[in-house]
Amino acid sequence: PRGAHPPHLSLFSPPTVTSEQIEHLHRRFKQLSHDQLTIRKENFDSIPDLEFNPIRGKIVHAFFDKRNLRQESDGLVDEINFEDFLTIMSYFRPIEMNMDEEQLDRFRKEKLKFLFHMYDSDHDGKITLQEYRNVVEELLSGNPHLEKESARSIADGAMMEAASICVGQMGPDQVYEGITFEDFLKMWQGIDIETKMHVRFLNMETIAHCY
Amino acid sequence: MFLLLPFDSLVVNLLGISITVLFTLLLVFIIVPAIFGVSFGIRKVYMKTLLKIFQWATLRIERGAKEKNHPLYKPYVNGIIAKEPTSLEEEIKEIRRSGSGKALDTPEFELSDIFYFCRKGIETIMDDEVTKRFSAEELESWNLLSRTNYNFQYISLRLTVLWGLGVLIRYCFLLPLRIALAFTGISLLVTGTTVVGYLPNGRCKEFLSKHVHLMCYRICVRALTAIITYHDRENRPRNGGICVANHTSPIDVIILASDGYYAMVGQIHGGLMGVIQRAMVKACPHVWFERSEVKDRHLVAKRLTEHVQDKSKLPILIFPEGTCINNTSVMMFKKGSFEIGATVYPVAIKYDPQFGDAFWNSSKYGMVTYLLRMMTSWAIVCSVWYLPPMTRQPDEDAVQFANRVKSAIARQGGLVDLLWDGGLKREKVKDTFKEEQQKLYSKMIVGNHEDRSRS
Repeated sequence: PRGAHPPHLSLFSPPTVTSEQIEHLHRRFKQLSHDQLTIRKENFDSIPDLEFNPIRGKIVHAFFDKRNLRQESDGLVDEINFEDFLTIMSYFRPIEMNMDEEQLDRFRKEKLKFLFHMYDSDHDGKITLQEYRNVVEELLSGNPHLEKESARSIADGAMMEAASICVGQMGPDQVYEGITFEDFLKMWQGIDIETKMHVRFLNMETIAHCY
Repeated sequence: MFLLLPFDSLVVNLLGISITVLFTLLLVFIIVPAIFGVSFGIRKVYMKTLLKIFQWATLRIERGAKEKNHPLYKPYVNGIIAKEPTSLEEEIKEIRRSGSGKALDTPEFELSDIFYFCRKGIETIMDDEVTKRFSAEELESWNLLSRTNYNFQYISLRLTVLWGLGVLIRYCFLLPLRIALAFTGISLLVTGTTVVGYLPNGRCKEFLSKHVHLMCYRICVRALTAIITYHDRENRPRNGGICVANHTSPIDVIILASDGYYAMVGQIHGGLMGVIQRAMVKACPHVWFERSEVKDRHLVAKRLTEHVQDKSKLPILIFPEGTCINNTSVMMFKKGSFEIGATVYPVAIKYDPQFGDAFWNSSKYGMVTYLLRMMTSWAIVCSVWYLPPMTRQPDEDAVQFANRVKSAIARQGGLVDLLWDGGLKREKVKDTFKEEQQKLYSKMIVGNHEDRSRS
């Protein structure tokens, strides 16, 4: 409803999003939902720019993933309300200057968990070779000259490299089951994801107008 | 004198007198000039007066807000998020650089590559270029119509009184006047064209048909209080050509047709529209299609080509965007009309949103609601530019030609030239566009992968 208060501001602790920005996101939500209270997967079809994106399916999927919505159970929901929408958006808030080490670390882990869930489509906590291949194929799917074999071999090569980083030298009988979240974290070491994985709001200008 | 007033009640008498006065006004000041195509300039005076009042109102609001320390602000129309201006390649390189210490000239797929697309995706979900084009343009000053001011609040007594007076004038005086005019215009059109239709074909019929059409369109223009400025009238479309214009509302047809004699193209509708269409085609050869025929592109193209090749026939009026756009930009032109091979006369139409928003958001308002909104606005002010004719060059195909015409129109009208297909409002993007970004990324990865495997 129009007059609803913005939900749990604790989501944004430390509070980095102003009520203006929430107002904007609310308007955007209403635009996407056609003034309904919830959004379904189909509502994302009305965003033309999103079609450019090769991993469009995974991004939309992420909005309905219960793990990202901080729900206890597993699987997907059918529709999300504005609060859930904000929950997902909160993964992309920029870092604040006054964050201490522990907060920064938690912040970073949250963002990486979001990306991990994008890879791990069967929700078993591991990125298997097949899942890795899926992602690579999707990212490269726009190229009509690319054969499926090439995409596969690229994925396999990258997976082997991941294995060597995470497990070190493997014996001939060892089978690498998949990348767990800890391994995933290892691979992102050194990449300042927390400074890059955010969307900044513009400052709103003040112009004389009937408000 | 009392013999002339058959009723005893004073109120009824007054009503009778005012209606008579109204109709006399109508006839003398509006319909007669319309018939002869002259103008008293009343509408221009009206427009100037309105502008003065709007300026006063805006000043009052600013003053009132300053007194009360209200922070007035306008939603930022150009987007709410700061989009990074870096390209795909730069960003991916940067991420990888900060990650592994590997050299950059051996790019293979990295786990972190997904991140760029993920962030871009979230950015577009938060704020999108194209969907903005489809909502009505937001105004910077208030034109005393509460429908254009989304957060109307009581600012001062004087202003509210003025607004109330405005409502009274618009709904109780202007609206009935306009409806009467519209009714007159449409019925004259239907009866006039039917009568002319009975005449034998020849110069007399053509002459009468032209003037009947023009007269009725001029009356309809006055019914909307449309104040139109035509530029470069020497470039007006000639016989055997195609007139192409950008589309903001169904009124575009009336605006163009009141200044020139065109053959319309369109689908036959039911109801009142259908009656008008069937009457019009008796007097002059418009090109109407049945609903089933519209889907058949070849049939449409064939009929249009036949029409155009007959040099004695009128220029065709077409709106290639296919749907109404909110008059801040021009969307992709469908190539059908550009394949026919006739001379194209581009026309740019730009509405001034200060007096009334002419954009028809067909998913939000039906036709009747839309017309009522138009008739209760102050006025519709627009400019029409006739651009010099263009023909398809031998080395360009229909799509390139369409884009060239589109750019010319956008440039003239001060509209933004967008590549997007106007059909996006209802359909999804065609798959060809999706490939671009993916191709770029995969070229990066695969090209280098192949180089490595070769070496």
